[in-house]
Amino acid sequence: MWRKSKPYLLLLPSTGVIVLLFFGGLFDGLLKSLGYFPAIGENQMSFIAYRDLLGSESFWESLRLTIRVAAISSLLAGILGGALAIALFMLSLSSKTKHSRLWQRLFQLPLTIPHLVAGYVIVLLFMQSGLLSKLLAAAGIIKEINEFPVLVNDAFGWGIILAYTWKEVPFIMLMLYPVLARIQKSWRDVSRVYGAGTFRFIREIALPIMMPSWIIAVFIVFVFTFSAFEIPFLLGVTYPSMLPVYSFQLYTSGTLAERPEALAVNIILAVMTIALGLVVYYFSKRWKITKGWQ
Amino acid sequence: MKRMFLPLRICLSLILFLFIGLPFIALLISSIAAGWQWPDLFPETFSFRAWEYILVGSSGTWQSIGTSLLIALIVMIINILLAVPAANALVRFQFRGKRLAEAILFAPIIIPPFVAVMGIHLTFLRLGLTETILGVVLAHISPTLPYMVRAVMVSYSTLSTDWENQARMLGAGPIHRFYHVVLPHLLPGIAAGASLSILISLSQYLITFIIGSGQVVTLPILLFPFISGGDPAVASAYSLLFAGMAILALFSLDMALKKYYQTKNPSVLKVKGAKR
Repeated sequence: MWRKSKPYLLLLPSTGVIVLLFFGGLFDGLLKSLGYFPAIGENQMSFIAYRDLLGSESFWESLRLTIRVAAISSLLAGILGGALAIALFMLSLSSKTKHSRLWQRLFQLPLTIPHLVAGYVIVLLFMQSGLLSKLLAAAGIIKEINEFPVLVNDAFGWGIILAYTWKEVPFIMLMLYPVLARIQKSWRDVSRVYGAGTFRFIREIALPIMMPSWIIAVFIVFVFTFSAFEIPFLLGVTYPSMLPVYSFQLYTSGTLAERPEALAVNIILAVMTIALGLVVYYFSKRWKITKGWQ
Repeated sequence: MKRMFLPLRICLSLILFLFIGLPFIALLISSIAAGWQWPDLFPETFSFRAWEYILVGSSGTWQSIGTSLLIALIVMIINILLAVPAANALVRFQFRGKRLAEAILFAPIIIPPFVAVMGIHLTFLRLGLTETILGVVLAHISPTLPYMVRAVMVSYSTLSTDWENQARMLGAGPIHRFYHVVLPHLLPGIAAGASLSILISLSQYLITFIIGSGQVVTLPILLFPFISGGDPAVASAYSLLFAGMAILALFSLDMALKKYYQTKNPSVLKVKGAKR
């Protein structure tokens, strides 16, 4: 009896806390998004908030922006991170020294940088009077400050895309490097015996091995960017804003009537991230990303 | 052979400089610039005004760092206490509902935690938990706990029950077994989880803002007005301080772990030797 109930007892505190604080919060939000709020005398449930939301242009604008920014930044981070992971791996094959570990450590620095700081770095570098604009002016490429494109607080979301790319490249590298490291050094030698050059080796061996993990890593970054707040809050514009910022704007706009709408945005966001998360989970299980290959 | 990789090495160094070096140089110069006009590559005059303001002025920096660290530490301790038994159950037992438990524990990684925090906000308000450190601590648990559980699970999966059985045969009670056999083995995992927990807790802005309502002033809350269109020098100095605090917290945890293994070296060596 004790043996049977032991794992449940061990799990009780942690799952209890998450159920209470996290799922309780989700459920609380769901009820309030449906307008059920006994403390102010609202006992009726309705889909008014959802109907208003789905009927408003600003919601769809937000959704479009969110998908666009998440897609572009995760692809950019994926391409850069993948290229850098392969470059570091080739470096580690060529030299026996421990340098490649140091390289990896250095490249992973942005992972530890808080999002707000990452956002501010992008402001400093990419705003119209930022460092890059100054560098271009010093090189004589641009003459007027206005010639530098508006990349921060722009409607397209370039600032957000740049900030997320910077933050997520190390993450992609972190996910890919262990996969590449499973390639034995002898494989490189065998490929050379058969006459494959460096680029053939990368294309025929490294890339196919990396591909499933690459897709998963890019997808994870996509989901993370989807629910990001700090960076779009700092680098975005008031309209259109990314969904989490949109929800925050509705929530803090003051009127009690808009709160159900804010919570409805959250619930939609949660449902979408769950769906995306399930896709990641399904494919990573199917492709056995977490297990080794024999 | 080596020569062929020289271009690659130069290329990587260049990328590294653009990627890591340039942002920090920009922050550093901006933090000591006294007015940095557009076409100038370097500011005309330098001053430590911004650093003076945030470090010795009445800006409340130190207090906010204290609040940030206090919250991060309490969250970390709660996470360790919750995660160790949970990881034990998930790794070492087969039981019904295991996947459900995993789904519950790892859900906050996928579903953005601010969704739950905004939902629970009014309930916290009624319970008097808003504007308190306790409320913020509770709000920081769900974004951090999954990472702690994950890290400790990795450690548990490499610990064979044979070790505990051996200790049991030698007459060690459950407390002794845990303290002398299990805990030393879990420590690297716990440290990795603690690093993540601290890092995530330190960099929370939105969750702290919603529950703390601006009354619980952590460093991100304090610096936000500056980086969203305030004084650039102060904003840069705060950004460096904030990034430095996060890196330093991780570094000191790493050092503490190394020190632990140094003082406990003989026993650890013996365990490792026996394993081989």
